[in-house]
Amino acid sequence: MSRPKRMTKAIIVGHKSILKATVNALHDSNLFHIEDFIEDESGFKISKPFQNAEEVSKKLVKIRSISNFLGIEHKEPTVQKSNSVMHELDAKLGKLDRSISEKSEMISKCENDLKDLENQKKDLLPFLSINLDFDYYRGYENLKVFAGSIKGSLEEGQISSITQAYELFYDPQAKTVVLFVAKEDADRVQEVLQNLEFRDLRVPERGGIPSELLRVTEQKEADASRKIESLKVEVESMKSQYADFLLASDEVLSIENQKAELPLRIATSDNAFIIEGWVPSENYDTVINTVNDATSGRAYVTSIEIEEEEIEEGHIPVEYDNSKPVAPMQMILDLYSRPRYTEIDPSSILFITFPLIYGMILGDIGYAIILGAMALAIKTFVKSDAVKPLMNILIYCQISTFIFGIIYGEFLGFPLASMHGEHGLVPGLLPFWNTITLFPGLSGEEFTFPVHRTHMVMTMIGVSIFVGLIHLNLGFILGFINLSHHGLKHAVLEKGSWMIIELGVLVAALGYFGGISGLTYVGVGILLLGIVLLTMGEGIKGPIELPSLMGNTLSYARIIAVGLSSIYIASTVNDIAFKMIWADHSKIGFAAIAAIIVFILGHGLNTVLSIIAPGLHSLRLQYVEFFGKFYQGGGKKFNPFGYIRKYTEE
Amino acid sequence: MVEPTVAAAAAPLLDAAGLKALGAAIAIAGTGIASGWAEKDIGSAAIGAMAENEALFGKGLILTVIPETIVIFGLVVALLISS
Repeated sequence: MSRPKRMTKAIIVGHKSILKATVNALHDSNLFHIEDFIEDESGFKISKPFQNAEEVSKKLVKIRSISNFLGIEHKEPTVQKSNSVMHELDAKLGKLDRSISEKSEMISKCENDLKDLENQKKDLLPFLSINLDFDYYRGYENLKVFAGSIKGSLEEGQISSITQAYELFYDPQAKTVVLFVAKEDADRVQEVLQNLEFRDLRVPERGGIPSELLRVTEQKEADASRKIESLKVEVESMKSQYADFLLASDEVLSIENQKAELPLRIATSDNAFIIEGWVPSENYDTVINTVNDATSGRAYVTSIEIEEEEIEEGHIPVEYDNSKPVAPMQMILDLYSRPRYTEIDPSSILFITFPLIYGMILGDIGYAIILGAMALAIKTFVKSDAVKPLMNILIYCQISTFIFGIIYGEFLGFPLASMHGEHGLVPGLLPFWNTITLFPGLSGEEFTFPVHRTHMVMTMIGVSIFVGLIHLNLGFILGFINLSHHGLKHAVLEKGSWMIIELGVLVAALGYFGGISGLTYVGVGILLLGIVLLTMGEGIKGPIELPSLMGNTLSYARIIAVGLSSIYIASTVNDIAFKMIWADHSKIGFAAIAAIIVFILGHGLNTVLSIIAPGLHSLRLQYVEFFGKFYQGGGKKFNPFGYIRKYTEE
Repeated sequence: MVEPTVAAAAAPLLDAAGLKALGAAIAIAGTGIASGWAEKDIGSAAIGAMAENEALFGKGLILTVIPETIVIFGLVVALLISS
């Protein structure tokens, strides 16, 4: 159980001549969370960015657009010296920019050509089977040329009945008509054609035989596509050649940009600057020393007292303070909301309760091994900062699942231990493991080891709810500790009252079922006292929320419910697969192969479900039932001025 | 499992065990539909909120799964009926 890192509010004051040195020192230390200055009546103003800001951001935009064009992705970093990157930046960037724009222009030109050629080809196609040079289509004084397409079919007789002076080319497949007639007959011929819904086609302007032209066009098209391909290959080679440079220079320039724009976030007068911010108390001395070293003691650094108002309003940035194994749980907290500065950081409790409930739900040795191996493999091969904590959480969960797998004696839905059923002894997977009856459970069931969940549902509901009660009360205790900052009275009225109510119910129930009526009255008395305290603490809202206590408690029944659904899916898959094999187990036939496929697919599906269902339900129990009792959240993230370098170093 | 016998054919359509099973089924089905019904509106609103601000995932998830308790109640009731 820990609290967020203690913060110290610090102020750095100095002459503007040392601003740059101070900024560099602060940036390198990566420990100082800068509080943005908001202009007020004090006479201080925000300043202008450093001189190089415009140039830096211009280059940054250029680099990012090039990276975008080339499709550069973040990858395994190769570390370069930031000085040498800066040194060759201008020359390399200029060269790269020129050749990129050259290449992209050429590509777009080729693509335009390709489009033109495509259009030309479209114009050519209708004339393909009319093997007539396009030069013959025009330039007549006394002839009218009809070139177009028709619907329906054209009989030569329709034309010859009008005139004998004609020349007809007709492609009945493409419905293309090219008709030469004397000008004086043109009107009448047009009428005939009109009836056939004649439409003019564009005659290509170039001369030549259609089939010959088509061949040439296709040749050109192929050339253009080849050229585009080769240009793209060149771009691709540039990508691999320049990826390191682009990533490194992006990083160097981002750092420069952060530094150059800092004056926009701080208070300055004509000659002086003030930087206000937060630093983890343990690092305060480091920050003082770095700044003093960089400015040879000319900057004035001091800590100032944190005002009550700042604590209340959540101005203080929150940085987790957890040990390494617990750190992955911070992701679950961040998903909900970062704790406030004054709150308990429940990461270390989640570290236990989240995997515990996950394991209680899943509880299967087989799935624990499969999922654990998967998580380990992903953690080893995927080097992503986002995936790693997730896989760590999954591994914690699988350890817990494995332990509960032993308690439940389950392996991929098979019971490991033999047990006495209605029809005699049912053998388990492990011949030497026999079920031992420990003590009677609820509603006539027997509590056994290993715990056969399917045979003691009511008992397991009871166990689940008992676990829930412990979990909820842990929440009340944490809430009590959180509130005791505001005084013990608050804490007792708002959180303690709930526990008194629970105690009252417990005592009353004991009295009622134990047949001691005196105890029942005592219990009811405690219960009433709790309700009165609650009303004093939370007003009328308190008693109204009383039934939610029962809802929250019963909600833990999902631990067994979701677990049972997982068992039933697994054992159904096993049943189907084994019945198929048993049908003709004398030989390896089709059924046996199909059975193996069913087995693998079924358990594959259940493995995926085994991450989602227990994970989500365990998460929900933490978020809704547990956090609802004590957690507020809404803390501001501690975001120090600095940069975590990946591709460069000083 | 009841072995089908000649006597079973003459038995009433619904015996006590059958009615119990039906009751359990209704408890699960009704609460399941109710949970889904309640969650659908919350879920779509949560997705909408997440599109605006991805940090709301946690809160969205919590609000979406709150009505899930309904079906858990149904399950408890079903188990009580059938045991």
